[in-house]
Amino acid sequence: MAKYFEKTDKWVVTFKYPLEPLEPPRELRGKPEINPDLCIGCGACAEACPPNAITKEIDYREGYAKIKIFYGRCIYCGRCWEVCPEGAIVLTNIFEMATPSKDDLIYEVNLELHTCSRCGRYTEFTERQVHRAYTLLTGIPRERRKELLDRMFLCRDCRRQVFSHDALRNRRTDKYGRASQTPF
Amino acid sequence: MVEFWMRSIEDLGREEVMSIVDKELHGLYTEKYAPTRDLIIYFAPRENIREIIRRLMMFSYTRLSVIVGNDERYFRRDFSLTYIVSFDKQDLYIGVRTYLPEYDLEIASIADMVKAAWWNERENRDLYGIEFIGLKDKRKLVLPEYWPDDAHPWRKDYPYNKPVMDWREGLPDYKPVGRHEDLDVIGLGPYHMINDEPIHWRLYVKGETIVDAEHRGFHNWRGIEKIAEGRLTYNQIPFIAERICGICGFTHATSYVQAVESLAGIDIPDRARYIRSLMLEIERIESHLLWIGIACHILGFDTGFMLSWKIREHIMHLAEVLTGNRKTYGMDIVGGVRRDVLGDRLGKARDSVKKIRYEYRELYNMLINNSILVKRTRGVGVLPRNKAISYGVVGPVARATGLDIDVRRDHSYAAYKELSFDVPVYSEGDVLAITLVRLDEVFESLDLIEQILDALPGGPLAVDVKDIPENKEAVGVVEAPRGEDIHYVRSGLYNKIQRWRVRAPSYANIPPVKEMLIGYRLADAPIIYASVDPCLACTERYLVIDVDTGSKKIMTDDELRAKSRKLSTRIG
Ligand code: SF4
Ligand code: SF4
Repeated sequence: MAKYFEKTDKWVVTFKYPLEPLEPPRELRGKPEINPDLCIGCGACAEACPPNAITKEIDYREGYAKIKIFYGRCIYCGRCWEVCPEGAIVLTNIFEMATPSKDDLIYEVNLELHTCSRCGRYTEFTERQVHRAYTLLTGIPRERRKELLDRMFLCRDCRRQVFSHDALRNRRTDKYGRASQTPF
Repeated sequence: MVEFWMRSIEDLGREEVMSIVDKELHGLYTEKYAPTRDLIIYFAPRENIREIIRRLMMFSYTRLSVIVGNDERYFRRDFSLTYIVSFDKQDLYIGVRTYLPEYDLEIASIADMVKAAWWNERENRDLYGIEFIGLKDKRKLVLPEYWPDDAHPWRKDYPYNKPVMDWREGLPDYKPVGRHEDLDVIGLGPYHMINDEPIHWRLYVKGETIVDAEHRGFHNWRGIEKIAEGRLTYNQIPFIAERICGICGFTHATSYVQAVESLAGIDIPDRARYIRSLMLEIERIESHLLWIGIACHILGFDTGFMLSWKIREHIMHLAEVLTGNRKTYGMDIVGGVRRDVLGDRLGKARDSVKKIRYEYRELYNMLINNSILVKRTRGVGVLPRNKAISYGVVGPVARATGLDIDVRRDHSYAAYKELSFDVPVYSEGDVLAITLVRLDEVFESLDLIEQILDALPGGPLAVDVKDIPENKEAVGVVEAPRGEDIHYVRSGLYNKIQRWRVRAPSYANIPPVKEMLIGYRLADAPIIYASVDPCLACTERYLVIDVDTGSKKIMTDDELRAKSRKLSTRIG
């Protein structure tokens, strides 16, 4: 058995952490960080997050959408990272997150809500989402683009009103007298 | 226990067995249907259930895997019970389902005939309020003693977030059954912070010899299945499933996603299948090395413990590099896996396997040549084969009693069909045999990892899954390090799960420990209990009652281990 004792110090597998800093492998799934410059507030991450560590709240009075991540609930699964359309969330390999205060575990991104161009009320989506949608318009045929542009800046109610109005005006009926065009 | 006239079906093919079962059950069932490839469900009135199960258990070798209760009052105003019997050699699960109307929830118990039903029936009694006539053990299994008898948390009209109600005054009353009924026993709390599965054993001893043992567990039962049914969508459940167990979590996630894929008819890409196998094998090595270390520690052989856990550290680092985490890999998702094994990680995996094999071989030689270890485990905790069959034990415990079952080979999943491996089987049934099965399996797993790394096919990692079909059912099985881990899933509306039943391998392996303990010395109790590989830290406290003097003393696990170690010193 002496053989094994000889070898043990050559085979040390443990680390002196926390006396020495520990370099985690780059693959480690650590603290997810939201880049506030890239986030558009779509809420896809909040939708996907299994333990609801990310939530999306909309404050219609102040006109802000709030993407809030609470690290106390996070299970470091990386679903948010996968679904984010903007690449705004990245799982870093930071793992030292112990803190005496719960507030340190909360991070918020506040994004301005878009205001409806017809009624002036806050919509449920953010300014950045509208911009993002605008950039997606290139490559779409012109008539369709115009149609989309008309609705893009409206809130949901106005959209409904405007388009039902339009649809009623352009209403065509089939031979049974039913509307052949669905309004939306 | 009823002795059966056994009919061997080991060599028969699947179709043959299906027709034999049809003939055997003729007239007892009303209709049958096959929801998936490997599951056939027979519908039968409740009077026939006992007879059907008796006939199914007459084949050699079948075992009762799980009894799934379900509250189907929203579809058809009834409760249902599904007895799932596994035909291992034919890659077949046969479910027998009976419906019980809400106002008449009674059915004949089969626990006297098939011991595997014992816990299952008690669980369904607690959670659905189904009364099993003839069930001797009417104590609560999963719910605490003070829980009101008329509240059944798994009924659908019981909200998932309803807090514990009607807290009764006084201490919980958990009376022993059988011949020790007159003894006045105080239930002593096995709660301990570090366990995820605290277990309380009552050992009745005569001098040094154990004459009876009793068990009480489920102190931390949280009803994870209800949470999943209540508020999660199907793709969030793999993450909570992975957290059922701290050691073999990935098998739970894989079982669950396999069940969902099977019910939705999803074929996952080849690369995903191989990566799942890779992670499952890594997990098996990790778990077995953990067990070997702890077994050594209990027997007072701490060098073995240190060396084994040192080797385990390599595999933990490898898992961290491959998945981003030492445990809870988070790799599974319905339709495939989430992370690829690319580039230098393949090389790293090969290097670690080489290193582990080299170091593990030395550890292996050291362990099997250690006379104390062999003396302490040979002939100890023998589980007779007929009891093993009746209790439906799985995994290494079954393979140590000569039952040649392994889900990887019998109900092949992931990439195991394309890989070659041996299933070590021993026939002694003692702790030494269980130990040897585990020791051998590590080598097989190392081989499997190398094969997977060599044969890893290209292609996508996952298929896109949008909606899953409504009201379909399936089972998913995985060979966990401790045995067959079976998940029954039934899908509901709006991409939710209507019923999810998890039967972890320890659920089948802990009840027979009672039989394994009787007749051996108190100092052997820790290693016998540890041999089935439950979460070991659970055995934090034993309650020891001397039948002769009627005295009670509480031994902490440390004291018992000290006793166990002293025995080793004597032998050595
Ligand atoms: S890593 Fe997982 S748990 Fe954490 S915020 Fe992202 S999705 Fe939520
Ligand atoms: S998914 Fe990305 S862009 Fe959308 S809210 Fe989350 S972080 Fe922002």
